[in-house]
Formats: sequence, structure tokens, C-alpha cells
Amino acid sequence: MDMLNITAEQLSALSDGQLQGDAFVQAVMSACADEGALETWNTYHLIGDVLRAQDLSGRGGELAFARRVQARLQIEPLPVSNAENATYLIAVPADSVRADGVNAIKFNKPAANDAQMRWKLVAGVASFAAVAAIGWNLVGGGLGLSNNAPSLAQAPASEPVLQTSGQPGQYMLRDPRLDELLAAHRQAGGTSALQMPSGFLRSATFEPTGR
Amino acid sequence: MSSSPINPPELSSNDSDMLLVHRTVAGDQKAYGLLVIKYQRRIQRLIGRMVRDVDLVEDIAQETFIRAYRALAQFRGDAQFYTWLYRIAVNTAKKMLLDMKRDPTISEAAFRGSSEDDDETSRLDNELIAPETPETIYAAKEIAETVNAAMLALPEELRQAVTLREIEGLSYEEIAVAMNCPIGTVRSRIFRAREAISARVKPMLENQSGKRW
Repeated sequence: MDMLNITAEQLSALSDGQLQGDAFVQAVMSACADEGALETWNTYHLIGDVLRAQDLSGRGGELAFARRVQARLQIEPLPVSNAENATYLIAVPADSVRADGVNAIKFNKPAANDAQMRWKLVAGVASFAAVAAIGWNLVGGGLGLSNNAPSLAQAPASEPVLQTSGQPGQYMLRDPRLDELLAAHRQAGGTSALQMPSGFLRSATFEPTGR
Repeated sequence: MSSSPINPPELSSNDSDMLLVHRTVAGDQKAYGLLVIKYQRRIQRLIGRMVRDVDLVEDIAQETFIRAYRALAQFRGDAQFYTWLYRIAVNTAKKMLLDMKRDPTISEAAFRGSSEDDDETSRLDNELIAPETPETIYAAKEIAETVNAAMLALPEELRQAVTLREIEGLSYEEIAVAMNCPIGTVRSRIFRAREAISARVKPMLENQSGKRW
């Protein structure tokens, strides 16, 4: 078996995925460096394609197409997915590629969706903060942590005072605590002509039937 | 041959593709050329189902391989390389057709049912063939007939080995078991079969070299 046939047999095995390590590299380098080996590689795959599907015999039988693609690739930079990958690729010298070509996957290659993952992390933290804030308010309210704040709901029920208005038969219910609160917030609520805060419901009238 | 049928685990063709991808990403651009040669016919046929213009088929196929090269670092081997390439080809064809205000001759239904593991070659019988030029048809017929004739002329053990490999898709190890011979013998028989067939096919390819077919 001469040298040419050894290479061709390697190419045959390479096309079937049978080579590893140094044999793989040698076959790839032979195929890439030698025009005849490239033609052999092409012919082997053409034979396989035709045996599987007869209509493939009429497409791309010669190497011209691959040469045109290769010519266009000359002006293309190395395939990288992002800047981080570029750094990672530059760190790998071409001659340091291991025999089986797996050097590239030894590194912690950043995932293609890393940027999205960062945003997802930010969104997750924001969601957690929102839930925590709502929960704190709910739990804090339930434990009575905000007792210092004035609250009508927690104030002891005060007896409404029945006051008479100027007109007979008309009565006005007055709540002293409500009056205190309204007085305290008078500035915020503004006052009416009766010198009473106008921003809130301050009184209710009751007219007995049969007036 | 003295090697036994039970050898260390062998790489599949897909693993071989992955190694070529890694080698390309690591800086060996020529390794990508081997992948181009390997898949050019299938990609051109795929695009030929979407585009009537034969010249446009090659342009889109070229663009497909260029785009695949640019995105090669993102290929992780979750799917077969051809499946990944297939999707790029379809997307490239659709985009280019859209850009050129052309309508695909084949509707979306032609791509329905494709899945991760569904190899295109398994659906050949049900798929449409793009319009071909008379030269293309003649060349395809001539090469197909030559390959078939060469197969028939092979010794039985060579024909069986290459059939089990190329058509049935068996691994060397499986072929060794089926033919009850060492893996080294399988490898040798497949190689000799390919050499015998290519001895008939190569002169045709050389004669047709330079022609557009």
C-alpha cells in the first residue's frame, strides 16, 4: 500500500467518523493541503450521497463550489459569537489545537444567552424586592407595627354626639375624634365657609320622616 | 488482519463533524472546507426545492455556508450539524427571496414535519425535486448510472460492506458483527469499494469540471 492509498484510506475512515487523535489531525491536514485528497474526499461523499439518493448526483459534483465558498471565507474573521468569545479564541493558538480538535471546548465558553441571563437575574431581584416590600407591609400591618400612626379604625369607638342644627327637626351627627382629625389636617384639606375642612366628608344630616 | 471486532468506541459521522467544527473555530479555516464539500449537495438540493432559478440556488447555498461559518462558535452539537445547517439554509433562502421580492416555488408545507433528528435523506422519496436544466439531469443520470454499475461490479463482500455503511448507516462495529469479520477488515473493504467506484466516477467529474451543472 503506497502513501497515497494510506491517505485515501484515512480519508475513507475520516468520512465515516472513524479517526481520532493524531490520525484525525493527519487526515484533516492531508485533505486540506492536498488538492487530490480534497477531490477524493469529495468523490467519497458524492458516492455516498448518490447511493442514498440518486438525485444528489447532479449537484455539486466538482469542487468549484467549495472553492468559491473558501475564497469568500478568506475575508471572514474567525467565527465568534461575541466579544468574550473573541478573547477566548485569541487565547488559543492555532498550532495548539489538540489532536482530536477538542481544545476549544475545554474552556468555559460563555453561553450565547448570557446577556439575557443577566437581565433575567436583575428582573428576578427586582421581583423579589417588590414581593418583600408588599409582604413587609402586609405582615407589619397585621402585627400592629404601625400603631404609632393615627388610625381611625383602631381608635376606640367614640360616641357620636347628636347636635342640633339651626333648623328644627334637623340633626347632625358629630364625631369628636373625626373633628380632631379634620382640625389637624385643616391646612391640607382647606376650609369651607363654615371654617371646616372641605376635603373630607365632615358631616351628615338626618331628617326624620314626617317633617 | 488481527484486530478483533470489539474495539474502543468509535466516533459517529456527527462526532466527526463536531471535531471539524471545533477545529475550524480554533482557527483552522480549511477544516470548514471539508464540511462544505460534504454537505454542499444536500444544501443545494434543499434550496433547489425553494428556488426556481438555478443560479440563485448556488448564491443562496454560498450564503448559507458563509452564515453558518459566522455562527459556527454558537453550534454546540445539541443537534446534528446538518440539522443546524438545514435551518440556516431555509432561513437564508427565505430571507433572500423576501429581499428579492420573489416568491418561493414551494410553500411552507414542504418543510413541515422536520425535526431535530429527522435527517433529510430519510425524506427523499416524499419531497419535490426542483426544476433542473437538461445538462443537470443528464449529468445526474450519468453519474448515478455509473455508481450503480460500479456497485454491481464489486465483489460481494465489498458491496455488502459499503451498502451497510452508506445505505443502512451502520457503524464499523455493527458491520463487523454483521459480516463476522474484524473492524480493520470492514474499514479496508469499505475503502476498497469506494476506490473502485471512484475510479469510474472521477473521470466523469474531471470531464465535467468547469461545466455548470
